[in-house]
Amino acid sequence: MSIHTLKKRGVGSVGVRTPLIDGVDKVTGRAKFTADLLAPGALVGRLLRSPLPHARILSIDASAAEALEGVAAVCTGADCKTPFGVLPISENEFPLAREKVRYCGDPVAAVAAVDEATAAKAIKLIRVEYEKLPAYFDARKAMAPGAEPIHAEKPNNVLREVHNEFGDAAAGFEAADLVREKTYHFAEVNHVHIEPNATLAEYDPERGHLTLHTTTQVPYYVLLNVAKCLEMEEAHIRVVKPFTGGGFGARTECLNFEIIAALLARKAGGAVRLLQTREETFLAHRGRPETDITIKLGMTKAGKLTACHLQATQRGGAYASYGIISILYTGALLHGIYDLPAIKHDAWRVYTNTPACGAQRGHGTVDSRTAFEALMNEMAAELGLDPFAVRRINLLTAIPYTTAYAQKVMSYGLPECLDKVMKASGWAERRGKMPKGRGLGLACSHFVSGTTTPKHWTGEPHAAVNLRVDFDGAVTVLTGAADIGQGSNTMVAQMAAEVLGVDWKRLRVISADSALTPKDNGSYSSRVTFMVGNAAIAAASELKRILIAAAAKKLDADPESVECEGEIFRVAGQDPGLPFSEVVKAALVGAGPITVKGAFTSPPEFMGDKKVRGSAIGATMGFCYAAQVVECSVDEVTGKVTAHKVWVAVDVGRAINPLAVEGQIQGGVWMGMGQALSEETRFDQGRMMHANILDYRVPTMAESPDIEVFIVESIDPNGPFGAKEASEGMLAGFLPAVMDAVHEATGVRPNALPLTPDRIAELLDARQGARP
Amino acid sequence: MNLMPDFRCHRPATLEEAVRLKAASEGTRFLAGGTDLLVNLRRGLGEPSDLIDLTAVADFAVIRHDGDRLRLGAGVTLAALARHAEVLASYPVVAEAALAVAGPTHRAAATLGGNLCQDTRCIFYNQSAWWREANDHCLKRLGDKCHVVPKSDRCYATYHGDVAPALMVLDAKAEVAGPDGVRRVKMAELYREDGGAHLTLGAGEALAAVVLPPPDGRRAAYAKARIRDAIDFPLAGVAAALRRDGGVIGFLSIAITGTNSAPLAIPTGELAGRAWDGAAAAILAKNLRKTANVLRTTVIGATYRRRAMQAMARRLVDTLWDRG
Repeated sequence: MSIHTLKKRGVGSVGVRTPLIDGVDKVTGRAKFTADLLAPGALVGRLLRSPLPHARILSIDASAAEALEGVAAVCTGADCKTPFGVLPISENEFPLAREKVRYCGDPVAAVAAVDEATAAKAIKLIRVEYEKLPAYFDARKAMAPGAEPIHAEKPNNVLREVHNEFGDAAAGFEAADLVREKTYHFAEVNHVHIEPNATLAEYDPERGHLTLHTTTQVPYYVLLNVAKCLEMEEAHIRVVKPFTGGGFGARTECLNFEIIAALLARKAGGAVRLLQTREETFLAHRGRPETDITIKLGMTKAGKLTACHLQATQRGGAYASYGIISILYTGALLHGIYDLPAIKHDAWRVYTNTPACGAQRGHGTVDSRTAFEALMNEMAAELGLDPFAVRRINLLTAIPYTTAYAQKVMSYGLPECLDKVMKASGWAERRGKMPKGRGLGLACSHFVSGTTTPKHWTGEPHAAVNLRVDFDGAVTVLTGAADIGQGSNTMVAQMAAEVLGVDWKRLRVISADSALTPKDNGSYSSRVTFMVGNAAIAAASELKRILIAAAAKKLDADPESVECEGEIFRVAGQDPGLPFSEVVKAALVGAGPITVKGAFTSPPEFMGDKKVRGSAIGATMGFCYAAQVVECSVDEVTGKVTAHKVWVAVDVGRAINPLAVEGQIQGGVWMGMGQALSEETRFDQGRMMHANILDYRVPTMAESPDIEVFIVESIDPNGPFGAKEASEGMLAGFLPAVMDAVHEATGVRPNALPLTPDRIAELLDARQGARP
Repeated sequence: MNLMPDFRCHRPATLEEAVRLKAASEGTRFLAGGTDLLVNLRRGLGEPSDLIDLTAVADFAVIRHDGDRLRLGAGVTLAALARHAEVLASYPVVAEAALAVAGPTHRAAATLGGNLCQDTRCIFYNQSAWWREANDHCLKRLGDKCHVVPKSDRCYATYHGDVAPALMVLDAKAEVAGPDGVRRVKMAELYREDGGAHLTLGAGEALAAVVLPPPDGRRAAYAKARIRDAIDFPLAGVAAALRRDGGVIGFLSIAITGTNSAPLAIPTGELAGRAWDGAAAAILAKNLRKTANVLRTTVIGATYRRRAMQAMARRLVDTLWDRG
């Protein structure tokens, strides 16, 4: 898209701070989330879950539950023999366990009953006999020779091993003046989206049609998986995503409860509402896995990187989920941020008897980036170099730039990001001179603006948007994109309004309803603004062409000379022109209501290189770049780390809606802070200990530092109005930045996250050589 | 979202009526702010036949003078307690401790009495019914084994109230209403060190109020180890009250929470009359070590909680001592 000059006329225009189109609905409580939907007569669904982490199912006796008055349906593994999964190459999960259970909480049976009490009673009546199997809660133990396979097809419990080398790593280390290797441990984290999982499934036995309202980021994948598992025609299923309370990657795949709700509804021949508790939402998991990373870097005396070798092991949990992609991502984004002559990557994704990990904001890249930047800071200190200087000397050399992984970098605002946060944080004057117990730290990070290689290859465009206009002059945007709070409905309205030259209030957005809206792959990998945005621009351009033709006819002018500004079509420079509604009426003459389509397809040169193994993952049209400085203090009495201030500069290409971009950036930093300082999952013999927001310590407003955002606009040549991703790229930087700040504050270098007081206290005590 | 058990709900207008209702049936519980009880009931931790809602009890949420003492009604919310002018002026440690509880929305509902009488907590207890069943239940509820101390015959669930230790170091009294009238006991006597039955209140008794003695020049403060500055219960909490008489300790009182099944006073008799120095601190550290019994009842390990308790106690007394 080459529309680079914006008029920024007012709220709703591209580039203008615009409150979200549905923001008032949400803050006033008008918005209906899945659990709020009115469904008179809907049955209550409830699940029976495995009490064991790994066991063979010997028998299930549900006869007493089935016989209980008020029970409409009982489902078990026998009701669905088709496995599902988000990647067609690793579908190995059953909505209800068959033959085996693989983690504490694996659903075994489900009931639909007239009310919650009856459903609970029925669940208690189901008898399951198990034969215990050895269980593994640690990747190393699961990989050890002789371990019991969790999935028969992977006898060593390794879902995917990756071994890649780009350039000559050995030669790179040879050429270095300083080589250091260090191992970092990352606890598993969860998204803690605030709305618990829920599905309302309505089955019409007469027509054999099923409608699902569900908490998802990917209505399309839900539809595909439900159709497959229920052996139904896709044409007979409708999936609607109502208002959704966050996702952060937890809902980027169809989850078991969605299929179970559908199974129950069909079996009961009616509607079933399946609400999941917070504990069950934690059990559905799909968070960032516990990961061990050993990283080796080579550096010259001047700070130039000569080689990197990264080894990652992920405790992936009981099912494949996104695992193959997650493990590839631990290496894919070693590329694209610095000019690095040699990269070696070895990684293992391991099955364990814990809830399945999946995609979480910054998917697969966060822990690798943290280890990389943390060691980079440590080596800079060892060489007496400033962390900023070490970043600058390693910047990409010339743009466009093609990485060894075949990624093309068309825009690169990282240098400006560095300048901005260095100045704002007072780095030059303050770093190294902070009072005792206080420190500053720096790190950089990046993320893809959508993955160009779809998981389900259909040959269709990456995104499509419909625009409708009818007698009333209202413009309706129809998009499959799932707005989960990130603001995609607002974004498409702004872009279409901008192209059409109309007030954005003329637009309404209908999204994520498979009966109405064009298919969209969903809200993940930060693809929506880039891909759906470009499709929206294409659709609006097409509608504009039709309207201009109608206006030109009425004005008896050459269409080339007609423009629309502020809802008035006029020949350039001539008054008074035709109002928008009049032009719409003219366009409808003879043609009737207008529906146009705009599509976006990524050019093949951005889809990786078949010669580079694994390069389909991390293939993108543009990276978002971020630099951030974190200021923290450490209380040596309690071991508590407090983040006081973050200066973060992010190259988002173009801020379509600076207000929303700022919020996304603060949210990304904040989520990084949670992983860095307090969040971690905990298990006791496979039993989840943390399945509530008291023991799983997602930060509160009390922990929120002042996050000062600097938006850098590098205007990507392919982004819609130049835009790139704006919500994932800044997350990872917080972790290594605060680690370096802790070092300045205390002299200790943490290598295990989160930096909870117990871990910090241990480091401080070891430093002092004695405990108080 | 979890189903609440069925129960009858009463809303008496007087404490006498509340106590009478309580004594009438064994499966009866008091309800005030509900921030502790209702969460537990939704998790299946109890199935009371009757709940007695105390929010309509007359004079229950009142702070008033009782001679030169200050009487805090058990129904006062923590938010009201924390902003009460006289509490702030004369007993700031009470406001400090109240403000350390949970978050603003909790404190708007939660009451002083509810906070003092809150249930003990344990990672093997504060879990869903499904979870506890998968773990064969525990000594505190439906089971016969303590997962914290497997061979023990008592429950080691931990008391995590923030306000009790602050009241203890001020020598506050608990006013307990029962069928035979009202009795006043030391705060510490409200508790016993048994995670399964940590309150000494009889079946027909209710905590009516807390009575603070007149301020006598001691300075007091409360410190709380926590991961987050809101929501979290204390991983360890220490309250201290000190009166410094020139170069020596005139009076020192220390109480801890978040470590044992009850809030406990730490012996400080040896310290009266001496200066607060390294040797005195070592005595305090020893007494803390002897009294505290920190076990694996929270997701954060016991080692850290012991360390934090010791380090916070030291800093607390250091600070009070330096303030003179």
